[in-house]
Amino acid sequence: MKKVIKLTNIFLKNSLSNMDAQMGISTKSKSRFLLYGLLFLYFAGLIIYLSYNLLDGLIQIQQEEIFIGMILFMIFGFAIVQTIFSSINVLYFTKDSEYLLPLPLKPYQIILARTNVMLVSEYLIIFLVGCIPLIMYGILTGAGIVYYITMLLAVILVPILPVLLISIIVMGIMSFAKLTKNRSKFQLFATAILLVIVVALSISTSNMQDDLTNEEMAQMLVKANGTIEMIKGYIPTIDYLIEALTTNNLLTTIVEVLKAIAITALSFVMYMLISQKIYFKGLVGNLFGGGASHTQKGIKQKEYKNSKLYKSYVGKEFKSLARNPVFLMQCLIPAILIPIIMVIITYAGLSSDGMGFEQINQMVGQMPINTFMVACIILGVIQFFTMFIYIAITAISRDGENAVFMKYIPVPLYKQYIYKIIPNIIMYMVTIIITLGMAEYILHLSITTLILLFVVATIMGVLQSLVMIIIDLKRPKLSWDSEYAVAKQNLNLIFPVLFSMLNIGIMVGMVGLLKNINVYLGLGILAILYIVATIAINRYVYNNQYKLADKII
Amino acid sequence: MIEIKNVSKSYVKGKKSVDDLNLEIKNGEIFGFLGPNGAGKTTTIRMITGILNIDEGDILIDGKSIKKEPLEAKKNFGFVPDSPDMFLKLKGIEYLMFMADVYDIPQDKRKDKIEELTKKFEIYNDLNNQIQSYSHGMRQKIVICGALLAEPKNWILDEPMTGLDPKSSYDLKEMMRQHAKSGKTVFFSTHILEVAEKLCDRVGIINKGKLVFVGTFDEMKQKFKENASLEDLFLEITEKQ
Repeated sequence: MKKVIKLTNIFLKNSLSNMDAQMGISTKSKSRFLLYGLLFLYFAGLIIYLSYNLLDGLIQIQQEEIFIGMILFMIFGFAIVQTIFSSINVLYFTKDSEYLLPLPLKPYQIILARTNVMLVSEYLIIFLVGCIPLIMYGILTGAGIVYYITMLLAVILVPILPVLLISIIVMGIMSFAKLTKNRSKFQLFATAILLVIVVALSISTSNMQDDLTNEEMAQMLVKANGTIEMIKGYIPTIDYLIEALTTNNLLTTIVEVLKAIAITALSFVMYMLISQKIYFKGLVGNLFGGGASHTQKGIKQKEYKNSKLYKSYVGKEFKSLARNPVFLMQCLIPAILIPIIMVIITYAGLSSDGMGFEQINQMVGQMPINTFMVACIILGVIQFFTMFIYIAITAISRDGENAVFMKYIPVPLYKQYIYKIIPNIIMYMVTIIITLGMAEYILHLSITTLILLFVVATIMGVLQSLVMIIIDLKRPKLSWDSEYAVAKQNLNLIFPVLFSMLNIGIMVGMVGLLKNINVYLGLGILAILYIVATIAINRYVYNNQYKLADKII
Repeated sequence: MIEIKNVSKSYVKGKKSVDDLNLEIKNGEIFGFLGPNGAGKTTTIRMITGILNIDEGDILIDGKSIKKEPLEAKKNFGFVPDSPDMFLKLKGIEYLMFMADVYDIPQDKRKDKIEELTKKFEIYNDLNNQIQSYSHGMRQKIVICGALLAEPKNWILDEPMTGLDPKSSYDLKEMMRQHAKSGKTVFFSTHILEVAEKLCDRVGIINKGKLVFVGTFDEMKQKFKENASLEDLFLEITEKQ
């Protein structure tokens, strides 16, 4: 067991060490700690606010116990989604596997340590999104100490089953499907399935409206409870834990918790037995298998054609992004997928209310569309959609230790920074075009407003790209054991979100300040503000191009 | 020609990783840079190539200062880093074409050069595959091809023989000899003393950041023990410190 704990510690340190460095632990910057503390408070506040509203509605109709089921299911679902993304990387694609196999370790020790890593990663987030609402429940219902102990046990127990389940499925596919020979295709395949599930879930839950009262929302939850009742038979741990958390009888609580622990322990034993049989088959196949398919084609004449450096460099960046499933899904796809999902959700939501686009048009026709406020709302929506484009914030880190290449080729660093952010700007523009297309379809904006909105949003995109590459240069994550560490376990990814939130704040402020201003004039002022900021940041990048690369060694 | 003048570098205040290094690698010379692990070889190479800033002193590549005219200096060398795991998602041909665009190699010349180099290293038939699918040796070869594509006057190679099969290693050594014969410079680091002895016109030995010996192997033997093996000489020089 000692070895398992040590191995788990090493794996965790390996994947979290850069996060520590990024957070500034053991370094001088207390301000970074403060920043993450504030962010934690922000998200915690948001969860408290949402939980309070939901619970308030449920208490009014005396159905507050449904809340427990909702939260436990949410934890379960969250663990499933997270594990789909992380399991294949943690189990198969970390670089240390090759060094680990020759060591005198028993198979179960490696599997247990890997599983622990997945669970700890789950707990880091689940304690935030799961514990806070459950504590809110305890406070609002006046629960006693037994509830809080049971709650803690529930939060620990619930994610275990999905982690084991998804891991076994991944191990099964990796050992039998022969897809192990092509890691990229497998990841694409697995992630594509997940995306289909996400889109399907988005559509099925799109009836949810933002402007519901607490009571209306609660009524909907009661309806949803029917679905939970139906599903929970298949997930016994949740069933037992709901009972344990909602009963007033101490003995029932103890019995139900023991049942949940027994089921989880049994699942764990089965998981260990099965995984020891299939895990290493897939792992060895993946490490030492046939590799990617090899062609022996000659080079065509057109492949020797020279092109301008910027084209060649940007092309290289796009190829590296598109051919890597993790980067493709985390950096490129969101720019297209998020606005499209939002369109589907909005359309499905409106259709369920018996409203088609014609009715919306009629409704919109009576509203003052060509106003500065509407323009700012559209810019805010664009900011919301673009906060998950991670191309510029990972531009340097994606290259890993190979980033030093930038420093020894005879191309100015400033130029290379610009080439590296062009894909970010292009994907930003794709999002802008989709969003403006959607806005035009619904609101029938004037062509001048549309052009001005496009210009302002594009300048915001350029500014965002410049700021993000500065952050990545100052806090690069160059030493990583799988792409997942750059595109997911990277604290820098919070910065695009912060940037978008700041911009949304600016939009709100501008609307407050310039309420009755002409839309063209208002957008013109915004454009000038953002142009000035972009020029200033661009000058900073140009003047400090060599100093900014100091951390690339 | 590479001139290293009074160069120093510290990572930690008060502890110099490279201390007042002076070295001149003349045209037509193959220079081997030796030293134990952590002696300062990679730091020196990183300063020559502009990856690391120089704290004190300067480095000139064909008269161009890497500090003051970095772009001009970088045009004068081709660099092979110690790890060939780069641009793994690109196909071999895409990587070479990218390098050709970086060094602005004319279209008529790049085809011949790519074919010449990749056929010599026997990777021509693999150019349409992603570098990710290459073995370590093949990756090393494609990186060497990329560095030599622009026919740079100065070759700077960090452990270039690692992972190469005997034939490729032989071919690379022959290319290095021909390059030096045509009046150009080869500067490379290695741990393989026999390679250094057979290939190099001169060697430099660095230990704890200081250059402890520069000269030919004959001079080394004369200075230390005449009949000692190369390994013994190396150990004596580096352990004396």
